[in-house]
Amino acid sequence: MIYIPIVALILGVVLGFLIKVPVTGIAGVYMGVAVIAGLDSVFGGLRSAIEGKFRSDVFMTGFVANIVIAFFLAWFGDRIGVNVYFVAILVMGSRIFTNLSLIRRQMLTKWHDVRERKRLDSEMKAQQSDGEGSAQQTITS
Amino acid sequence: MSAVSGFIVVNPFASRRTENKWVLPVSLMALLTGFMTSLAWIGNDQKNLRLKYLDPELRSRYSEGTLDLGKDNETLRNEMTMLRDENTKFQNAVAKNSNASASLNKSLQEQKLFSALTEVEGPGVVVKLKDVLIRGPDQAASMVQIIHDTDVVLVVNELKNTGAEAISVNNRRVGPNTNFRCVGTTILVDEVKIASPVIIRAIGDSDTLFGGMNLPGGILDKIRETDANMIEIEPVQKMRIPAFSGAMSFKFAKVPEDKK
Repeated sequence: MIYIPIVALILGVVLGFLIKVPVTGIAGVYMGVAVIAGLDSVFGGLRSAIEGKFRSDVFMTGFVANIVIAFFLAWFGDRIGVNVYFVAILVMGSRIFTNLSLIRRQMLTKWHDVRERKRLDSEMKAQQSDGEGSAQQTITS
Repeated sequence: MSAVSGFIVVNPFASRRTENKWVLPVSLMALLTGFMTSLAWIGNDQKNLRLKYLDPELRSRYSEGTLDLGKDNETLRNEMTMLRDENTKFQNAVAKNSNASASLNKSLQEQKLFSALTEVEGPGVVVKLKDVLIRGPDQAASMVQIIHDTDVVLVVNELKNTGAEAISVNNRRVGPNTNFRCVGTTILVDEVKIASPVIIRAIGDSDTLFGGMNLPGGILDKIRETDANMIEIEPVQKMRIPAFSGAMSFKFAKVPEDKK
């Protein structure tokens, strides 16, 4: 399940290269900041999904708001001559790191769970095969 | 079957399972983010429009990235030189056939000489520009102890001013549209990397060139103010300078058809 958004991400990149709308000049820089914001939201969403805390309203508003704020900060920083977009990138970049590490931990835990379940499964199978033959048939199918 | 479902209820890890309602929104937004990424991507076609908005450091990294293309260019350049030589031979051969074409060829060769398309030979000077190898701890001082692209430009300009007829920088002929540009730690001469020591050869009257370049207040004099070892200049009785091997194609400039 977790692979679907990642595939979608790659698909989006390919799509963008195929359609090719050139973003030039300073808009490209703002777009770069917006991309970081988008990545931050997507990984945040993945993480909350894995933790089972996902709420689509929070996710959608967060995604849009993050991108708009990042875009605005970058633009505003340029207007007043302060590189505010560094702050946006710093915060969102570090959040991407945190989210990715949490996702990794969760996936590792899941993997261990699956192994543990398999072990229990085989133990159970062993117990049941001592008794009835018909029950064993159902489990293996 | 009942055994299996009963097993899942007992399974202590079942509580970790979540519903999949997140897949669609997250995937959609991931798609959008991916799309935006490729929009923000600095590709070759819009690179020049994007470069000036980047950090200087990032900018020079991008420019250095394109230097690999410069290596490809190198082979093309060699091929171009070869073809131009062949062209010259061909023109000479045609010229042998008749007098009219001989005079035509003569003017053609003069044109080629003027636009640096032929190898040339003659007296002149060799100017060597070198970085100061032992540098002090002073950062500001060490900046001027390096040969920059502007130094090369100024020396070439001064050589032209003093009457040089053909100039090469590190064995690259200075042609009609030759440019010098600073990228990171190296200088680009028509997209070819060079670094200190920069050896500039100029063909012309060697005494005039030698005297003119050593004029007090000239560019060499200014560089010598930092360190006299940065400059070496010597007159040469005879040397060869290769033909210009850079690309020359006119996309916009045309000869007007109606003459005033």
